[in-house]
Amino acid sequence: MIVDIAVNGENLAEMVEQVWTAYLDPEGINPLIRSGDAGQVSEVHSSVSITGSWHGHIVYASSRLAAAAFLAVEQDEVSLDDLTDVLGELANIVGGNVKAMLPPGADLSLPQVVLAPESATRYPNAQRITSLYGLWAGEPIFVSMWQSSTDLKSGALA
Amino acid sequence: MKILIVDDSRVMRQIVTRTLRQAGFDGHDLVEAADGREALDKTTTENPDLVISDWNMPELTGVEVLRKLRAAGNDVKFGFVTSECTPEMQQQAESAGAAFFIVKPFTAERFDEVFTPILG
Repeated sequence: MIVDIAVNGENLAEMVEQVWTAYLDPEGINPLIRSGDAGQVSEVHSSVSITGSWHGHIVYASSRLAAAAFLAVEQDEVSLDDLTDVLGELANIVGGNVKAMLPPGADLSLPQVVLAPESATRYPNAQRITSLYGLWAGEPIFVSMWQSSTDLKSGALA
Repeated sequence: MKILIVDDSRVMRQIVTRTLRQAGFDGHDLVEAADGREALDKTTTENPDLVISDWNMPELTGVEVLRKLRAAGNDVKFGFVTSECTPEMQQQAESAGAAFFIVKPFTAERFDEVFTPILG
């Protein structure tokens, strides 16, 4: 089935900015700034997979500090369980919002969290179709969308 | 009022609690559950006035919990806070008897809008 997905880079950026505005910057004083810097290095990352009407992955990557900020506690009080929890939830939120823009029949997987840079994970038979590079409080944030090559061969592109 | 907050993410339970406070809903008795089974059990044992539940959780999904409660004759006010929001899910929630459907990420303004009629 050819799926012409309606999620582009601008949509992805809006979703991520909504997460920041809601949870980290409700007063609008410390926004997520788009850097466009593909050379940013992450420390941790998480992902969810989408199957069904569209096949691919949504990946969230950042520094440990940026992820821990969601917990609203001091960095040295953040346990690995907390860090894993927040990273999984971030991938889940962005993935859930992406899913809402896809044709009916898409399924979202449970999140997978890797406490290593984003480059540590490979997505076989998938190509990165959209990326967002940003900085929050000087910390790197990186969100990307990968589409299965099976979908791509069918002619589906953002 | 007693409020049961259900989410398998401790961070998200914390954010829901924080957002309730930011929206001005202080002074309520908050109870937590970390999966659908615990939510079902605590709705029975703790007898909350309101249940704010995630959708996708281990053991039982949020909508399964709601269906089981209604089947058992429990009429507690129950709604969802979830990152997934398709028309099918909203329809399922409504059919099962949900009072609200909040999509993550949410704001204190959204909580105020949804919970003021319920919590006053």
